Amino acid sequence: MGARIEAAAALTSHGWRKATARRLADAAAQACLAHAGKGPGDVDMLINAGVYREDNMGEPALAALIQEDIGANLGQPPVGGQGTFSFDLINGTCGVISAIQLESGLLRSGVIRLGAIVTSDVDPQLQDPGTAPFRPAGGAMLLGWDDTGAGFTDFAAETYPEYQDLFASGLVWQERQGLRAPRRAAGRSQMVIDARPGYHARLVDCAEESAHRFLRRLGMGIGEIDLLVPAPSSPDFLDALRLRLGVPGDRVAYVAEDLAGAYTSGPIAGLQAAIRSGRLGEARNTLMLAAGAGITVALALYRRAPGPAASC
Amino acid sequence: MAGTGSGRHPDHWLALQSPGSGSPWGCRIESVGVKLPGQRLTTRELMSQTSHRTRIQLERLTGIHERHVVGPGESSFTLATGAARDCLAHSQHQAPDIEMLISTSITRSRGRCSQSFEPPLSLYVKQAIGAAQAVNFDLSNACAGMLTGVFLLQDLITRGEISCGMVVSGEYISHLSWNAARQIRSVFSKQLASLTLGDAGAAVIVERAPKGGGIEVIGFTTLAEHSRLCLAFPSTVGPGGQMYTKSRTLQKVAIEDMAPLVAEVIGEAGIDLDDIDYLIPHQTSARAIRTGTEAFARRLGARPKHVVVNLEEYGNTSSTTLFVALHKYLQEGRIRKGDRVMLLALASGIEIGMAIFTIDSQVDHYGRTH
Repeated sequence: MGARIEAAAALTSHGWRKATARRLADAAAQACLAHAGKGPGDVDMLINAGVYREDNMGEPALAALIQEDIGANLGQPPVGGQGTFSFDLINGTCGVISAIQLESGLLRSGVIRLGAIVTSDVDPQLQDPGTAPFRPAGGAMLLGWDDTGAGFTDFAAETYPEYQDLFASGLVWQERQGLRAPRRAAGRSQMVIDARPGYHARLVDCAEESAHRFLRRLGMGIGEIDLLVPAPSSPDFLDALRLRLGVPGDRVAYVAEDLAGAYTSGPIAGLQAAIRSGRLGEARNTLMLAAGAGITVALALYRRAPGPAASC
Repeated sequence: MAGTGSGRHPDHWLALQSPGSGSPWGCRIESVGVKLPGQRLTTRELMSQTSHRTRIQLERLTGIHERHVVGPGESSFTLATGAARDCLAHSQHQAPDIEMLISTSITRSRGRCSQSFEPPLSLYVKQAIGAAQAVNFDLSNACAGMLTGVFLLQDLITRGEISCGMVVSGEYISHLSWNAARQIRSVFSKQLASLTLGDAGAAVIVERAPKGGGIEVIGFTTLAEHSRLCLAFPSTVGPGGQMYTKSRTLQKVAIEDMAPLVAEVIGEAGIDLDDIDYLIPHQTSARAIRTGTEAFARRLGARPKHVVVNLEEYGNTSSTTLFVALHKYLQEGRIRKGDRVMLLALASGIEIGMAIFTIDSQVDHYGRTH
């Protein structure tokens, strides 16, 4: 028994006049619901795991705005109705796997029946525009429960705080230069992303170590993994990790070219690629792996139901 | 098809957890910790700093006499870490026992960053307190963040996936007050609520309890039709943020919509509202709490025995208010063993969350005996 992927959708802002984190997440969520043949009112829980936004809104949770935009259980709570519970989860590129773990548990308990996870990142207005280490993208996936033995069954998350300074980001106040005048901004909070040399190499080291430990805990070898869904998808991470783990290229879910460089949406982009190619339905065991700041490595095992390959 | 646990009741608007037949364990609040900055700021002092002559009688309107505010070297991180340490000091657990740590503050200041994004603040907190092996992530759900964390840990604990977790929040949020003070002109300003804020850190440890014990019911929902009634962004007036709140509409909606949700929760617990010994609501203003309580009483035909208001000395400490209040009442011996407590979170979104539990041996670790 496990949490089954009902649908996954990832998209970029290609062709849009202006990309915002909310619009990207809205579009991904709506595409995902359409793929699954579900309505917004079916969503019991909506977790937004995106990080970088154009406005850096502090509250409410962006998830609440997305819930309103897609029309999930709005209006006054009637007796006998069913609501949606929305919040944001922040764990960088590992956020999607953290959210999957939480929703899988709540599906198992029967507290929710359909969970949505949405993500999006846009350029957070860095001092040097266009230097964000990711491409604007949005993603969404839906999880339901499966009694047949398929779905997400096992999770792990590990941190390597000795490398916590290799990648850090945050808002830093910058005073406006020049004469101060009433009604003029005194300054602005500037997003600063500090990525140091060696970060991606250490990501590979940590991801390899955590993946081996996870599989050992499950009594599995890397040869039993039919499909690897890794994030981030940048070649300096992905190719090195694949070689270190000894996973052949035909067992890796490579994302579509336009989604290469997606940040928190990376794991969903990988799942979308795996679903579209039919390989997720064919693979007996799929390993999702995400590595990011912290250094944090998150892992999830997705099992196919016993029997012939299924479509997803 | 739903999972194997207690199952979602079709009549519930809330996502609800209660000790169902499928859960092998209960989940209890084991300890609560608080970290308050040493520096205090009275409402009179704050209002004397406004750029415009506002004529706002803030203390009379809100019941807030003073609030704690951070001093040099303090941040969301130091408040969260201090609260986590205080929580451990009141706990039977050691830091290595914590299997999951969730940081839930709206503000995430640390070092030179007024708001950190990566790595998550929870990583730094778990390192600072020695909970290195805990799985960690941050969560953002406005003022309902801490109770949201408890909701998530409850599921992991009652299913037996973990046995002990911590939710922590460090709110250095008084910069919103200073930024509002520079711009506010009258009582009708959308920044009025920013003047009520105070700084505080809070932490709570939840642990495995015998089946049927611990938290009787916990539930959450998001009334997203009203998601834009309170919005906060980075400020251009000064460091930190600015918040714009349609306070009257928010209060009206909360009173209208919350009553049936309270009825759901107390119905799930199989009790009446007057079986609640202490209702601890989100602390916004004394007047709003009084109005809300009266509305519940009218609609539900009963009222809790006591309604906790601690605004006078803390103000609105955002995501920490419920646990700052619970800690104070435990510390002062006002809540006693056997008392039934209801926590009621109300936050931008609109997020509404509630938890009902009975005080047990955790009370032994507070007050003069500690």
